[in-house]
Amino acid sequence: MPEADARLVTEILGLLRQPVFFRDVLLAARDQPYRAILHAWSEIRTHHALARDELGRYWLEKQ
Amino acid sequence: MADGGANEDFRTMLARMERDGHLRRVKKSIRPEHITALCGKAPTAIMCEAVAGYDIPVVGGLYWTRPRTASALGWREGELGARFAAGVSRPIAPETVSTGVCQEIVITGDDVDLTALPIPFMHERDGGPYISAGVAFANDPQLGPNAGCYRLMFRTQRELGIDLFTASDLRRYYQAAFDKKEPLPVAVAIGVHVFEHMAAAYKAPAGLNEMHIAGGLRGEPLWMVRGKTVDVMVPANAEIVLEGELLPNGWTADEGPFGEFAGMQGDLKYNPLFRVTAITHRKNPIFYALQMPWENDWLNGPATEAACARILGLAGIPVAAVRATEGGCCGWSVVAAIKKRAGEGKNAIAALLSLPVVKQVIVTDDDINIYNSDEVEWAVTFRCQADKDIVILSGMKGKHVDPSVRPWDLGPGELPTTSKFGIDATIPEGIPAFRYERIVPAFQADIRAEDYL
Repeated sequence: MPEADARLVTEILGLLRQPVFFRDVLLAARDQPYRAILHAWSEIRTHHALARDELGRYWLEKQ
Repeated sequence: MADGGANEDFRTMLARMERDGHLRRVKKSIRPEHITALCGKAPTAIMCEAVAGYDIPVVGGLYWTRPRTASALGWREGELGARFAAGVSRPIAPETVSTGVCQEIVITGDDVDLTALPIPFMHERDGGPYISAGVAFANDPQLGPNAGCYRLMFRTQRELGIDLFTASDLRRYYQAAFDKKEPLPVAVAIGVHVFEHMAAAYKAPAGLNEMHIAGGLRGEPLWMVRGKTVDVMVPANAEIVLEGELLPNGWTADEGPFGEFAGMQGDLKYNPLFRVTAITHRKNPIFYALQMPWENDWLNGPATEAACARILGLAGIPVAAVRATEGGCCGWSVVAAIKKRAGEGKNAIAALLSLPVVKQVIVTDDDINIYNSDEVEWAVTFRCQADKDIVILSGMKGKHVDPSVRPWDLGPGELPTTSKFGIDATIPEGIPAFRYERIVPAFQADIRAEDYL
């Protein structure tokens, strides 16, 4: 199974320091292949706890 | 039976829609997150043949309108309710086959990677990419096999969130497994024929296998094959099947929001997880991205029209036609044409509003073409007196998805109530029919437009 692009994971983790919609993740990484974004998202959801608000936004929970 | 021959499959259905002018191919490369926008702007259903980064085409917008739905079914537009009712009335059990094209390619274990599928991000406020056309299959020791339509949100390469928030048979199956702290084996088919999809969307009573109804709609048994890693039967001709289990995590995993069937962005929910143990598919599979809300609504439209015709029949009212309108999500708003006897305009309203989903009704005489909204409006304008012909019923069973019932004010487990109304647009009692005589152009039958224009 292909591995996630570490640089892309780091970029998305940076974005998740504040509440963002999933659309914002796609927008921030729009120069990347869609599949690479989903790989990175999979990596983040596997290894990091994400908080949600009622609007559906995501952000990194403080560990 | 549709005109594609025995056990017509998804791609034979697509071929008919293409012949009928309801599906066109898009050759230009498109990213998955742009497909829903294109579907909304296209005048037909589309098959995106060049999805950037994928070698799997994506089709969408198949059941967006009544004509497209009729083409998919291979039925005439005005007979959707009647043909659906006929299919439901004569269920046919599926036939088990030993092999199916849905298992031409089998991916298991560490090779399972959901990102290999072009799962699109669909709406601005969605919580992630969604599988919107999944038909989930599961078994229960007492109630037997069940099929239903459930949305699935991409989370990781092997996990999806599944919406089991509202009451359903699958939720009941899952609850039984959850109470024993056991996973529930499930298979999700993507890209099944409209017969299977419509049967799965139908709210059949628990214990009735929806795929028997699919057989009734087909007029022949559906071919089903056993999953490779789960003991669950799936349509043998499906394009793609995800096999796995609903984990006993309960309603704990964030899922949504998602653009829902009523045309509004839904809420964030907490739901079970679906862990995928195998992906099986045809060679060169087609991924189906069902477009909200109309495709979802049209899967229920024929069932609504069938239910309306049935309840009018039970009330002894001669019904000429029933139309579930798109603006009412093919269920909440209904127009019925009847061969009226005195008082039956109101009787029809009372009968139709007793159906749980129907919230507003217009009843006309059978001289009105109810598929033409202008004719319906004409009947309402000239055959209705608001103080006598509008019926309002209060305190009836409502639905949480309707913001006008203010569901957020309800306590946990509390069910909403709603008011409903009907408009009697039939010719009022005591007014002679000649008062409504329509103007007819002189010598209409003798003149052909094409001879002059």
